Amino acid sequence: MSAGDNWHPVGLSHSIEAGSSAGIRLFGQELVVWRDTSGVAHVWEDRCPHRGMKLSFGFVRGDHIACLYHGWQYDRAGYCQYIPAHPDLEVPKTFKVPVYLAQEQGGMIWTTLSENPPPLPVDRDQTVPLRSLYLDCSAGAAIAGLGMVRLMPFASGALADTIVHRLTDTLYAVSTGDDRLLIGIQAISDTRTALHLAICGSPKLYEGFGQSHFLDWALQLRRAIEQPSPQALAARGAAAEMN
Amino acid sequence: MSELATMSEQARFVFTGRLRSDSFIEFARHRAARLGLSIDVTQMSEVAITVNVSGAAELVDAFEVACSLGPYDCLVLDVARHDRALAA
Repeated sequence: MSAGDNWHPVGLSHSIEAGSSAGIRLFGQELVVWRDTSGVAHVWEDRCPHRGMKLSFGFVRGDHIACLYHGWQYDRAGYCQYIPAHPDLEVPKTFKVPVYLAQEQGGMIWTTLSENPPPLPVDRDQTVPLRSLYLDCSAGAAIAGLGMVRLMPFASGALADTIVHRLTDTLYAVSTGDDRLLIGIQAISDTRTALHLAICGSPKLYEGFGQSHFLDWALQLRRAIEQPSPQALAARGAAAEMN
Repeated sequence: MSELATMSEQARFVFTGRLRSDSFIEFARHRAARLGLSIDVTQMSEVAITVNVSGAAELVDAFEVACSLGPYDCLVLDVARHDRALAA
């Protein structure tokens, strides 16, 4: 997988609260995901232009994020607006953090490293956040393993096949019967991948026991992908040869 | 933010040492651009480079500090500075 023009998930929406920030990596590039107090999510390069401190260590104040090191404050467009050591200084526009497009859909925060990405597929389904899982494998290996563990039904109760459906290069759906999980694939590096999982459906139905039910499956899936059985390895090898 | 105007300053810097003029000048121009300063190189040699910069006083100070280290292939041994304050 490459960055390309794709949209990439960088976290579950509910894991970044208003007024907070988190550092993430995408294809080895360090980014900060932060949410202003109006609730809008932003994705920027995780580096203060002043002395290189990670902005993810900083403080969100209203619609600004301030660097931990010397308090330089940046507005939503990434421009430095205030330097505490020089309060009267009109800060040059050159003091700017590279910012990336960010959207929220399917219960996830998405970003792209492209300036001209295609539209993000609209997912109007209500979702219930499940969890972000971190795997010691490539994104390709994670995708290849999505169907390795049978998904047991929760809503309908009747056994049905586990179906893996590709929505985009970075968004898959795994379903069984009436239950459907969205899985966002984040390539942290060549050897590390995050899976961001959300349940399609109403919180009334899935919050609590439903989340526990699918979390068990997700943890089994991670074990299966990271420590595949000899049969699974052979099947992967055969699939790779065919491709 | 304060409503006071930013004080502008013009300074002439003479950087002396063991300098590779093309490398140092590129470095100085890059730093001046990042700091929003105008820059004019008036003299250059392998031992001394003279530049005039102007802009916000705080950022002229930052320029001096940045260029006192210089790029990796230059050794700045001394910085001489002559200031002229400008109206805001």
